[in-house]
Amino acid sequence: MPKAFLIDTTRCTACRGCQVGCKEWKNFPAVPTKQRGTHQNPPDLTHYNFKLVRFSERMDAAGKVTWNFFPDQCRHCLEAPCKSGASLEDSIIIDKDTGAVIYTEKTVKEDFETIRSSCPYDIPRKDPKTKRIVKCDMCIDRVKANLLPMCVKSCAMGAMNFGDRAEMLKLAAQRLVAVQKEFPKAQLCDMENVSVIYLITDAPANYHKFAVADASDSTQGAPGMDRQQLLAGMFEPLRRAAKQIQG
Amino acid sequence: MTSPAPASTTASTPASPALRAIEATLTRANAELPALAPLLAAFGPLFAARARLRETAPGWTGPLPAFDAERFCQGVFVLAQMEHGQGFQDMSASLPQAAQHLLPVMAASFPALADELHSLLGAVESGELAPQALAAAAFGQAVAVPGVSAETLAFALSELVRPFVERQAQDLNALTKDVSWRQSMCPVCGGAPGMSVLRRIKDEAEFIQSHGGRRFLRCSCCATEWTMKRVSCPACGCEEPDELVVLHDPTRPFERADACRRCNSFVLCLDTGDMVDVPDVDVAALTLLPLELQAKAQGFAPLAKHPWSEL
Ligand code: SF4
Ligand code: SF4
Ligand code: SF4
Repeated sequence: MPKAFLIDTTRCTACRGCQVGCKEWKNFPAVPTKQRGTHQNPPDLTHYNFKLVRFSERMDAAGKVTWNFFPDQCRHCLEAPCKSGASLEDSIIIDKDTGAVIYTEKTVKEDFETIRSSCPYDIPRKDPKTKRIVKCDMCIDRVKANLLPMCVKSCAMGAMNFGDRAEMLKLAAQRLVAVQKEFPKAQLCDMENVSVIYLITDAPANYHKFAVADASDSTQGAPGMDRQQLLAGMFEPLRRAAKQIQG
Repeated sequence: MTSPAPASTTASTPASPALRAIEATLTRANAELPALAPLLAAFGPLFAARARLRETAPGWTGPLPAFDAERFCQGVFVLAQMEHGQGFQDMSASLPQAAQHLLPVMAASFPALADELHSLLGAVESGELAPQALAAAAFGQAVAVPGVSAETLAFALSELVRPFVERQAQDLNALTKDVSWRQSMCPVCGGAPGMSVLRRIKDEAEFIQSHGGRRFLRCSCCATEWTMKRVSCPACGCEEPDELVVLHDPTRPFERADACRRCNSFVLCLDTGDMVDVPDVDVAALTLLPLELQAKAQGFAPLAKHPWSEL
């Protein structure tokens, strides 16, 4: 049965347990970093950081400060634009059971920039050592063994939820109604297109540039189409052409 | 031995969540524990048949019995509070039809008992064994049925009434909501726990969600679950870390037997805290058989037996 995450940012305290849990489970080494005056550390996703808690501090006109936390990761898109951007059939595969979008060792043969720019959420990274393109794999090893993804297990605040998609959609709808009482503008990001659904209370751009796929500022001349649809549409013919050439 | 039939094959309506969980747990257990396949093939269809009966069973009819929260807190379980100690409501009217559903499933699952189970079904269908007598026999009264041994009769009838008992218990358990119960026996019927489960409980009101889940004991008679302190022996209350032993297989970290050196008892435990899909507990109890045997071999006694414990 397809799985989904609900990331309820209203419960997130930015403890970064999920970020550390992910790294530990994957056995990734520490990456050198430095103090840049923010708790967001490292500054961006890397080939050793598939999960990153983003911090965004804002002050409105009235001088009220809000601090938004966004535990960023691959959204496991239902029609993954990154897969449409791939030239090989099996460099990026979809696990039928769970809906996880998995990058295989064949990603070494893909063009990194094409794959990265096809992702509306700017998720893929390249491992300079192995030359593979990498990202969150939904902890597919754990999920296949009926265990929760490590980031979900690590979250003590109940911000990270994981289960059957139908169940998560139900939970998302319930939480939205509850949260909207206090934050009328609360929304569920890109719910129809992704398996990792964020519940946020502020405008998406106040969390992260790529919090939602619709970056209307960066796509031109595609009325009614968000960036994700645009990219998916753009790469589909390319992929088909590549397939024809390769036979 | 029959092949393991998917649990929902005989159901015409779409499978309920309970049936889906049974099926999913059986599939996973068959893949992970091939040595248990014959047992799973035998008991799987029985669990599914029981679940189907439970879903259509009438439950507690009429007003719920009088309930005194104060006496309950002192350890007087729901059925013990009834004036004449009647116990579960009479379910005999439902039993002949249930027997027609359940006994053939059991006969297919347990070929060695098939002849006796067919004789039993014959006696029910001919009216030779009246519904009242059937119910009485299920609750321990000595009843002789020609061609059926006392053991087979006890096994078959306890399985036959179980769905009705479980369904009534669900209704009775509503009485105990929000009242604390610290006993190791069932708050509804006073039965002993045959199994325990750690469950992840999501409480939106709580800021920090508990890690690792809460411990529930599960009644071996009516399947009611109630919470119990995590680090304590349910039989004698011992909380000494040195006396409490956890038996487990390192390759299956979510299964264990919680044993106590002080009173030499144990209860099986399934830790679902980190699981994506919570398994069906009856099927899970079956997959814990290797641990059950290990605990017994080390001299510990179970708080309650399972139908397969003596196989
Ligand atoms: S572990 Fe939970 S609370 Fe902590 S940063 Fe991650 S999502 Fe937020
Ligand atoms: S979020 Fe990006 S990397 Fe993840 S599946 Fe969607 S397109 Fe691919
Ligand atoms: S699902 Fe696993 S790989 Fe993905 S962010 Fe969570 S812990 Fe990391």
